[in-house]
Amino acid sequence: MKRAAWFLVMLLALGLVATAANPVKITFWTHEDPNRTPLEEEYIRRFQALYPHVTIERVTYPSARIAEVLLTAFAAGKGPDMFNLEVNDAYPYLVMGRVAPLRPEWVGYASVESIVGAYLGGTLDPVYKDGKLYGLPLELTIWSVFVNKKYFREVGLDPDTEYPRTWEQMMEVSEKLVIREGDIIKRRGFDFRYGYYVEWLLAMVEQLGGAFLSPDGQTAVIGDEAWLQVLRFMQRWGPFGKNLGSPTYTAARSLFNFDRNEVTMCLSGFYQIARIKSNNLAFYESGEWMVIPFPVFENAVNDVASHYYGHYYMVNAQSSLETQEWTWRFIAYMLSNPEEYLTRVGLIQPRKDLLASDVYAAQPYGDVFASDMARSSLVQLHVANPEFKQLLDEAVKAVMLQGVTPEAALATLRTRANEVLAEYK
Amino acid sequence: MFFGLFSIYPVLNALYLSFFQKHLLSTAAPRFIGFGNYQYLFQSPTFWNALTVTGIFTGGTFAMLVGLSLVLALFISSRKRFQRFLQLAFFSPAVVSTVVAAAIWLLIFDPRGIANQLVNTLAGTPGVDRRWLVAPGMLQLATMFVYVWKYVGYFTIIFIAGISSIPRSLVEAARVDGASVWQTFWKVTFPLLKPTTLLVSVVAMIQCLRTFSTQYLFSQAGSPRGPIDVITLNVYHTAVRTFQIGRASALSIILFAIMLFLSWLQFRVARSEEVSYL
Repeated sequence: MKRAAWFLVMLLALGLVATAANPVKITFWTHEDPNRTPLEEEYIRRFQALYPHVTIERVTYPSARIAEVLLTAFAAGKGPDMFNLEVNDAYPYLVMGRVAPLRPEWVGYASVESIVGAYLGGTLDPVYKDGKLYGLPLELTIWSVFVNKKYFREVGLDPDTEYPRTWEQMMEVSEKLVIREGDIIKRRGFDFRYGYYVEWLLAMVEQLGGAFLSPDGQTAVIGDEAWLQVLRFMQRWGPFGKNLGSPTYTAARSLFNFDRNEVTMCLSGFYQIARIKSNNLAFYESGEWMVIPFPVFENAVNDVASHYYGHYYMVNAQSSLETQEWTWRFIAYMLSNPEEYLTRVGLIQPRKDLLASDVYAAQPYGDVFASDMARSSLVQLHVANPEFKQLLDEAVKAVMLQGVTPEAALATLRTRANEVLAEYK
Repeated sequence: MFFGLFSIYPVLNALYLSFFQKHLLSTAAPRFIGFGNYQYLFQSPTFWNALTVTGIFTGGTFAMLVGLSLVLALFISSRKRFQRFLQLAFFSPAVVSTVVAAAIWLLIFDPRGIANQLVNTLAGTPGVDRRWLVAPGMLQLATMFVYVWKYVGYFTIIFIAGISSIPRSLVEAARVDGASVWQTFWKVTFPLLKPTTLLVSVVAMIQCLRTFSTQYLFSQAGSPRGPIDVITLNVYHTAVRTFQIGRASALSIILFAIMLFLSWLQFRVARSEEVSYL
């Protein structure tokens, strides 16, 4: 009997070891970021050394393509075990139940509340549902304005005192900075980040008292006067107006780092600093660039900066429970190094300990981003945000490029946005 | 079996899905709505715009492709030297991927690109932005240029093969009987090229109706979508941006029906004008 009991214990123990040693393969899809890749590959090597039965395959896709690649994969039931997406694109995955919740014990926490408490208030709201947490933030991004001081001085402006504080000043200063050959712009003063309208365009509308969605989320396009003022501003900005910029020119933030007299100001996040450093060390060290706050309209009724958004690591709900557990463990392992993400990649993970650290305090222009963050809020999330972004894009391009009046563009936007809302009611 | 698996099954599956409402990300079972998706589309201004844009693109590109490739084929066939070189030169864009082709042309049509420089140099109008990627008409023309540039060589080669299959004795007999070059072409070569012309027209038309990458890349590069929102691009947006896979399937079925009808029409017209000199 005793022998039989021992045999049973041995069998159980062997079974446990075998279970623990079950090979786990994690597929990890993320967007291309040359500064993040070496860091995360290092984490993968270390994690695999700690847990030899885990294999992690990290695959990168261009930022502009990853959303559709993931969507296709998930639609076919072949999504990766973990991924990150910009929160507007990730939110439908949460609403449609395609991502798995995190169990706090897997990552060394006692409860979901204790994880939420470790992060800046509200920053986990987009991935928190019914008491469960469905994502952990890779980065939280807010856009401020990057300035090339050299070109300011070239046109007789003092960048330290005469930088634009309002959108009206932005237009005025850009008119001084722009260099054209006939109609063709050779150097832009400033240009927007076309495509990312929920981040900056909606902030401009909200400065004037308007909104995209009503507080109950049932009606789209609130406050006509605010919308019209913003659309008129964009119309004057475009080629049919003062010809200061256009969505068809190369993205301003991509050109800024190279300091080739093509763009003076652009909208970007903290990560741009690391990219300036890796693209153009001489420019980075020259002291010829700076970051200024997101402007407001002169008649603004709300002091609102650009909306911040995030990238959250999420886990596929279709993966096996064991894979989900090891994937969350791996995510927590990577994210336990927020200072390295900050210093090596320029990504801000909104953890309270990081934001209170000396490392964060020592970052250049960290104060500008922090003060913009203080007068900002997270992008308004809706399952139809990818479609809303498209409708906003069409409205802006209609007034800037197609000669459509702001009134007509607004009417189309309102009709179509409310049609979309009706489909989700 | 292979054909059935990769060609017929997707069509049947799209037809089936077109009667359902389904969110692309949802794991819930699709909801049967009968002809609801078709009804929605026929009432949607976006659908009619897509149909118009597809018609403009197909009409313009098809005419340029068929006409230009026939002219080039006649020109190359009449050369005694450099025939192979010319064939290769015109055919080479066909092997470039459409994505790369569109990317090259985006650089050309950029406000600071060579399209503006060339036109301004020829017209003596320095600094004028022709708004290739912005103005609706120019944008449509720009996408047509890309397509014609890419595929004209391919159809030229097919025409050259057709021309070379016409017995030389027929052409020579016509010339001996005193026919001019134009008369020889119009009365002998062109009628005998009918089967080739039919093949080229059907393939070119289907190719034009299926266009996607050029319009997709142009819209991604900042151009307004409306003027180049061909049906395939609309299918993509309906499925990927609005997640409505049932509606996108209905759009695909409509496109399939248009292709089928136009191909049938071309065959029917061609059959009524069959020519034989044998």
